[in-house]
Amino acid sequence: AKSSAVSSSSQILHPDGGEMEPETMETKSLTDYFSKMHMGSVMSRQ
Amino acid sequence: MDTVGSMVNMRAEEQSFHVRYRMEASCLELALEGERLCKVGDYRAGVSFFEAAIQVGTEDLQVLSAIYSQLGNAYFHLHDYAKALEFHHHDLTLTRTIGDLLGEAKASGNLGNTFKVLGRFDEAVVCCQRHLDIARDMNDKVGQARALYNFGNVYHAKGKSICWSGAEPGDFPEEVMLALRKAAEYYEANLAIVKELGDRAAQGRTYGNLGNTHYLLGNFRSAVASHEQRLLIAKEFGDRSAERRAYCNLGNAYIFLGEFEVAAEHYKRTLQLARQLKDRAVEAQACYSLGNTYTLLQDYERAIDYHLKHLIIAQDLNDRIGEGRACWSLGNAHTALGNHDQAMHFAEKHLEISKETGDRSGELTARM
Repeated sequence: AKSSAVSSSSQILHPDGGEMEPETMETKSLTDYFSKMHMGSVMSRQ
Repeated sequence: MDTVGSMVNMRAEEQSFHVRYRMEASCLELALEGERLCKVGDYRAGVSFFEAAIQVGTEDLQVLSAIYSQLGNAYFHLHDYAKALEFHHHDLTLTRTIGDLLGEAKASGNLGNTFKVLGRFDEAVVCCQRHLDIARDMNDKVGQARALYNFGNVYHAKGKSICWSGAEPGDFPEEVMLALRKAAEYYEANLAIVKELGDRAAQGRTYGNLGNTHYLLGNFRSAVASHEQRLLIAKEFGDRSAERRAYCNLGNAYIFLGEFEVAAEHYKRTLQLARQLKDRAVEAQACYSLGNTYTLLQDYERAIDYHLKHLIIAQDLNDRIGEGRACWSLGNAHTALGNHDQAMHFAEKHLEISKETGDRSGELTARM
């Protein structure tokens, strides 16, 4: 049960509704792309 | 064609090949430097290198897609969302043109996150759905989990964008509750996959946001359970920022459960971590929360101690709104203790700051 004291103070305590975790952005790495290409050419030479 | 003519032709072809080769090499060098700079968090410099790489140009469309994508992400981290939208959109068009499904899924995910931040939730949902559909078609579990997490974030943000007008967690209009319930469903669906994959870092993020969703839904016990899981995983990784967030969110949930002593313990851990991380703004917020919690506990001496700490940091940071709040809280605590002169001093200070910051409700409260 929430008391009125809790109700009024809660809005002052945390008006944003909690701290969120960071967004996860998708990555397209050039380093990975070229190491895969390099590995591919090494494998095809063997 | 005579011999001389064919030799001239060969030389022109060779020259053109060399020009293209050098162009590709310098574009790539610039882009790789941009990638390195973004990896170390220097997004501003990273953007310059990526823009230069685009100026030079490339015929490798996979390279171009990666540059667009990384430029979009760099602008996203710089909070320039219009630019982020522009480049993620270029990436989406390009990947669709070349029929790169995995690339399209990633571009859709990034575009969805950007639309979400801009409050364009309907467009964000379309992008998340495309991301999820492709991941399902390709039987890509990691992609599915990521799309579901993004979906959860979109519905959480949508719910929050319409809910904050004085109402309390659990008491929002039905439209808000519906969006928040959807967010919780997507987070649960994500959790089922990331648990199967054994991806603890992803579980940690989802538990954190699921905890905040339960909190807004008014399910404070569930919120505590989720944030406890988030805290556990943050400790496994030694991720002190995530640990601090979890302690703060736990403190907030315990306030609503009426367990003020427990809330205070969690806010104290938040304060310790904020000091270790040298994050002054968060340190100020933790002091403010502690001051308010001790007010609820009617321990006004301690409340004053924390509100004074908050006031000092707010003054250091030149945060006039924070300073005003600290003065208001100090005025109340001194009134409760019967220190009328001190109470008057802080009430006057609060009024002065409210006038300066244009805080009309603060000004009216101060006059009361």
